[in-house]
Amino acid sequence: MIRNQLLICAGGACITSGEKSVKDVLVEELAKNGIQDEVQIIETGCMGACDLGPIVVVYPEGTFYQKVTPQNAGPIVSEHLVKGRVVSGLLYRQPTSETRAQTREEISFYTLQVKRVLRNCGVIDPLSIEEYIARDGYFGLGKALEIGPDAIIQTIQESGLRGRGGAGFPTGIKWKAARDASGSPKYVVCNGDEGDPGAFMDRSVLEGDPHSVIEAMVIAGFAIGAATGYVYVRAEYPLAIERLEVALTRAREYGFLGRNILGSGFDFDIEIRIGAGAFVCGEETALLRSIEGKRGMPSAKPPFPAQAGLWGKPTLINNVETYANVPPILINGAEWFRSVGTAKSPGTKVFALAGKVQNTGLVEVPMGTTLRELVFDIGGGIPGGKAFKGAQTGGPSGGIITADYLDMPIDFDSVKELGTIMGSGGLIILDEDNCMVDVAKFYLAFTVDESCGKCTPCREGTKQMYQIMERITDGKGTPNDIGKLKTLGRVIQQTSLCGLGQSAPNPVLSTIRFFPDEYRAHIEDRKCPAHACLHLLTYSVVSEKCVGCTACARQCPVQAITGQVKKAHVIDQATCIKCGSCYEVCRFDAILKE
Amino acid sequence: MEPDKKVQSPEKATALSVEDRAFLQEVVERDRVEHHGRVSYMDILFEVEHRYGNFLPGEVLREVARLVGTSVAQLNGFVTFYTMLSTKPRGRHVIRVCTSGPCHVTGAPAVMAELERLLGVGEGETTPDGAFTLEGSSCLGICGVSPALMIDDDAYGNLTPKDLPGILAAVRAGGAQ
Ligand SMILES: Cc1cc2nc3c(=O)[nH]c(=O)nc-3n(C[C@H](O)[C@H](O)[C@H](O)COP(=O)(O)O)c2cc1C
Ligand code: SF4
Ligand code: FES
Repeated sequence: MIRNQLLICAGGACITSGEKSVKDVLVEELAKNGIQDEVQIIETGCMGACDLGPIVVVYPEGTFYQKVTPQNAGPIVSEHLVKGRVVSGLLYRQPTSETRAQTREEISFYTLQVKRVLRNCGVIDPLSIEEYIARDGYFGLGKALEIGPDAIIQTIQESGLRGRGGAGFPTGIKWKAARDASGSPKYVVCNGDEGDPGAFMDRSVLEGDPHSVIEAMVIAGFAIGAATGYVYVRAEYPLAIERLEVALTRAREYGFLGRNILGSGFDFDIEIRIGAGAFVCGEETALLRSIEGKRGMPSAKPPFPAQAGLWGKPTLINNVETYANVPPILINGAEWFRSVGTAKSPGTKVFALAGKVQNTGLVEVPMGTTLRELVFDIGGGIPGGKAFKGAQTGGPSGGIITADYLDMPIDFDSVKELGTIMGSGGLIILDEDNCMVDVAKFYLAFTVDESCGKCTPCREGTKQMYQIMERITDGKGTPNDIGKLKTLGRVIQQTSLCGLGQSAPNPVLSTIRFFPDEYRAHIEDRKCPAHACLHLLTYSVVSEKCVGCTACARQCPVQAITGQVKKAHVIDQATCIKCGSCYEVCRFDAILKE
Repeated sequence: MEPDKKVQSPEKATALSVEDRAFLQEVVERDRVEHHGRVSYMDILFEVEHRYGNFLPGEVLREVARLVGTSVAQLNGFVTFYTMLSTKPRGRHVIRVCTSGPCHVTGAPAVMAELERLLGVGEGETTPDGAFTLEGSSCLGICGVSPALMIDDDAYGNLTPKDLPGILAAVRAGGAQ
C-alpha cells in the first residue's frame, strides 16, 4: 500500500545541484526504516524554482522541502514519514516575514502563477505515460479525432493562440495554410532548438512533459493531413532527447502514434532530429535545411514553410510551448483559453527568470502581467539590496525594458513599442552593477558569432558595430560613434534576410535610447559608471585606510600587491588583472574601485 | 590548432581498417532503417565522433559520405557549420562553458579564466595529455543555476572558481576507468 509519495525535482537545474545523490539517500533511508513499500519516489520535471533546488515535495500533505542535500535529506524520512513531524529547517523561509511556508500554495513564487503549459511539469513523472493520461493526457487527441480537421483548426483560430517561438504569428492561420496547401506528403515539425540565451522553457517542457508535445503534434498532423513529424532538439539538451525518446516509445505502445491511431484510420509517427550548436538553426527555414542534412542557412520567404518546407513539401512548424498549449485548448475550448491574458495575446506565457533576481527559474503567468509582478512579486526582487536597472527581453534579438516601464503589461505588442520583443520568454534581470554598454556589446558578440554569413550587412555590419562598441568600452570612443552605430543599425535591420540579422542591432539601439548617459560617460569621461568595463576600471589602495593586514596581497592571483605587514600596501597597475579579489577580501574598505 | 598530420595526411586516407569500415557501415545502415530511408547526418556523426575520440577524422568522413551517398564536400560543409561537430582532434572530455548573457552577468568570465589557468590552455584548446578540450558555448538552458558548464553530457551549475578543481578531479578519476 502506498501511503506517501515523494516528488523529487529532476529538472536540468536540480540535477546540477545534486538531485541524484539526494534521491539515493532517500531510497536508502526508506529501506533503513523498512517503509520502502509504503512510499513511492517520483522523479518529476522542473518545478520552476531552480534556485531552491534540489526540491522534494511530500504528498499527500504537499510539504515543500527546499535546498535538500544528501547530508540533510535523512530527516525527511526519519522525522516526517516515520514520526509525522515536519522538518522545519528545510522549509522555505518567506522573504518578508519570519514564517516558513509549508506548501507551494504558501509561496508567492507559485501562487501568482497560472500553470497551463507547465501543468504537468514538476507534478508527474515525465517517463510515465500513465501519469500523463491520468491528468487528461491524450484526451485532447481523442476529441480532435472525433471533431475532425476543420473543427480543430477553427477552435485553434478562435482561441487566438499565437506562436510562442518569438514572432507571435497566429497559430490557427498557420495550421489552415498548411491544411489548404496542395502537395504531399506534408510534414509537422516542432522547433525545440531554443538557442536564445537565457531561455529554458522549451527545455523544461520537453524534459518535464514530453507527451504534451507529442500529443499536440499528432493533433496537428491529423488537422493538416501529415503522416510524419520531426522534433528538432539541440544536442545541448541530452536529457530532453532521452526523455522524448522514452515518451515516443510509450506513445507507440499505447497506440497514440503509429498506424491507425485510436482506431481512427489515421497514421502518424514522429522522429527526433538533433541540432548541434548553431543559433541560426532556430530560424524555421534554416531548421528545415538542417533536418534535410544541409548547412542550416535561412532562405527568403515566401515561399513559407506551409507552402514549401521540408524537401519542398508543405510543412507546419511550431514552437514547443505553442504545441504544449494545444491539447488543453481542445479539451476546454477556445473561450477557456481566452479567459486569461490580453485581448490580442490571450493565454499564458512561460518566462525564464535569470540574472540578478532572487528567485530564478521558470514562471508561467497570464499575458499582460507587468514586469514589476514578475521581478518583485514572483521573482522576489534583486539580491543584495541592489537597484533594479532593467530587464533584457528577447535575448540577442531584443532590448531592455527599464525601471520606468515596470508597470507596463507585457504582451507581444506592448513591448514592441519600446523597441524590444517579448521573444521566446527569456527575461534577464540586470542590476546597478551591470553596464548597459557592456551588456549590449556582449549580445552583439553573440550575433557576430552566430551570423550564418549569407548576407553582407549581417556578416560585416555587425562586426563593424562590434568594433565600435569595443572601442567605447576600451575608453577610446569618439562622440560621433553613437551616430555611426545608429546608422549602421538601421541599415542592418532593413537589409538582412532573416530575423537574426534584422534584429541584431536591437540591444545596441535600445540601450542607446534608454541609457544615453552611460554611453556618454564611457566616451567623454572614459568612465564606466557601473564599474563593469575592465579597461576603464582601476583598483587602488587608499593608504590612509590600509592597516597592512596583507589579506589582499595573499588573495591576489597575480601577486600585483606588495607591502610590508602593518604598512600600507600598493597595487601595481601593470600587473593587476582587475579580478576584484582584493576588493572582495578587504575588511577595511581600503580598496578603491573606480 | 594544427590539424593532426597522422590523421589528415592523404597517404593515410585509405587507412581505415576492416573493423572501421564495418562499424561505419553498421551505423549508417541502422540509421537508414531507423529513419525510414532518410538518414540523419547528425545522429550518425555524433555516434561516429564518439568512437573516434570526439572528432571526425578526414578518412572517416570520406567513408561516411560514400555510405550515405553524398559528396565529401557537402558533408564537410555540414560538419563545419555546426560548432558541436569537430574535424580537429579533441580531448577525451569536452568542457563547454556557457558564455551567454545570464551566465556572463553572474560570473562566467571568472569561471572560464580559472579553467584556463587550471588546465593551462586557452578557449578552443586541448590539454597536452589529451584529457580535456575547453570550449565556450552559448546558453545551455540551465540559466536558473548560472554560471553553468557541461562536461560531455553532464551539467554543473551555480559555479564559483573554487568548485572547479574538484569537478575536474572527479571527471579525471571517472574517465580513467
Ligand atoms: C535567428 C532566429 C532564431 C530563432 N530561434 C527559434 C528557436 O530557438 N525556437 C523557436 O521556436 N523559434 C525560433 N525562431 C522563430 C522561428 O523562425 C519560427 O518563427 C517559429 O519556430 C515558429 O513557431 P511558432 O509560430 O509556434 O512560434 C527563431 C527565429 C530566428 C530569426
Ligand atoms: S540575416 Fe544573417 S543570419 Fe540571417 S540569413 Fe542573413 S547572414 Fe544569415
Ligand atoms: S545563459 Fe548560461 S545556461 Fe543559459
